[in-house]
Amino acid sequence: MVQNRRQWLLDLLAADLANTPASMVALVCERCVLEVSVSGAGATVLSHLPVFGGGGEAQPSRGLVYSTNVVSAGLEDLQLTVGEGPCLDAFASGGPVLVADLAAERTRWPAFTPAACELGAAAVFSFPLQIGVARLGSLDLYRDVPGPLTRLELADALILSDVATDGVVADLDGHSTEDVSWLADPHLQVHQAAGMVQVQLGVSTDLALLRMRGYAFTRGMTLAEVAGQVVARSLRFSHDMDGQ
Amino acid sequence: MSNARDQRLARTFVTLADTLVADFDVLDFLGVLTERTVELLEVDAAGVILSDQRGGWRPAAGSSEDAELVEVFAAQTEQGPCVDCAHSGEVVTSDDLIVDTGRWPQFTPAAVGAGFRAACAVPMRLRDEVIGALTLLNTHATAIDGDSIELGRALADVATIGILQQRAVQHEQIVSEQLQATLHHRTVIEQAKGVLAESGGLDMHRAYLVLRAYARAHHRRLSDVARDVATSAVDPAVLLSDPAIVPQG
Repeated sequence: MVQNRRQWLLDLLAADLANTPASMVALVCERCVLEVSVSGAGATVLSHLPVFGGGGEAQPSRGLVYSTNVVSAGLEDLQLTVGEGPCLDAFASGGPVLVADLAAERTRWPAFTPAACELGAAAVFSFPLQIGVARLGSLDLYRDVPGPLTRLELADALILSDVATDGVVADLDGHSTEDVSWLADPHLQVHQAAGMVQVQLGVSTDLALLRMRGYAFTRGMTLAEVAGQVVARSLRFSHDMDGQ
Repeated sequence: MSNARDQRLARTFVTLADTLVADFDVLDFLGVLTERTVELLEVDAAGVILSDQRGGWRPAAGSSEDAELVEVFAAQTEQGPCVDCAHSGEVVTSDDLIVDTGRWPQFTPAAVGAGFRAACAVPMRLRDEVIGALTLLNTHATAIDGDSIELGRALADVATIGILQQRAVQHEQIVSEQLQATLHHRTVIEQAKGVLAESGGLDMHRAYLVLRAYARAHHRRLSDVARDVATSAVDPAVLLSDPAIVPQG
């Protein structure tokens, strides 16, 4: 049952993209409303990555990328304004923050909760878009009535947050990949390799990942193949490599 | 059960209880649990696999971070006793993987190629949900006895408690939050291992040992040290030259 959901959702998104050219993050937000039965979805992307090849690393700044309605847009703005809320907690814990009854969480977020309820949110579900220490943004869902996500809705939301994560990376490096399964890959070499490459290049983990993806893309390799060569120490990255 | 084994069992649960203090690190805890499982059940390797809640499974901890063993644990997230156990919620054993080649055509060659001949997977259950599995591997063909399976179940329950940490499980959503956070921290540890492996010319197993030894020597959580290494908040040279880290492994 759950096993086939990933392909099902990817097929839906591919059809969405064919009908409506839009960013993958926007399409994911719209699909969340349809498949996860939430009232609205918003995504915030942390824009701290320099243009690829531009060198230097800017400070993180946040900007709203997409929201499906005004309530979602308001909730994203609210967290930025009050400096607390499920999205920020999601980054702190590393996992999603799933709040089925927001009104019961007044002590957890004294500033966010009353204002969010006022906006019309009764339940909030926040999913960090991240690859280990590489924080890319968050996918934030809300419902106008309280209630938990079912197991299947949660699975869909997690898969869709993987797709959104890959979409953000693809937007950054301009290489869209057919296969987003690398984020759920149980073979952990991609992350080991990213750590090695960040030392080789003296850059952050997210930039190391982008360099590995770029290398894989230009050579028609998978990211897992590139990672395998890095970990086996048969491939080293340097700033003057060709194809970068 | 022998006296010696009873004593080891008592020591194991004391160690695990000592680890379950406030603000403990769940991955460090699972690592200790798999190491103790190897000693206690007299198996050659043990690992914890967790549900990714997307229909897949991911390795979370192993009795060794040796690359070949890590690959076996990764391979068994796709096929093998662990996946069967996770789906059925029952203990799944293979006394001789070579005899069972037809049962798991992809997993068996990977496991046998890495030197393993027997496997057993014990479910980590929380109410009606299977959140993971504790896997035992042996390098020789052998039947795992009933006592060992019962002990394996107890250890799998302790692993489940560790993942829930100190949080009361009022609803399913908290389990999901904790599982996903654990998988996230595993990714961070892999990134930090890469940084240390490259900086110090270490293999991945040794890089993990340095990370863990540093965390313990400085009374810090493994995941926090891993984050600091991966984000370059701490220079890897600080860990690699720390006199408190006794060379091991």
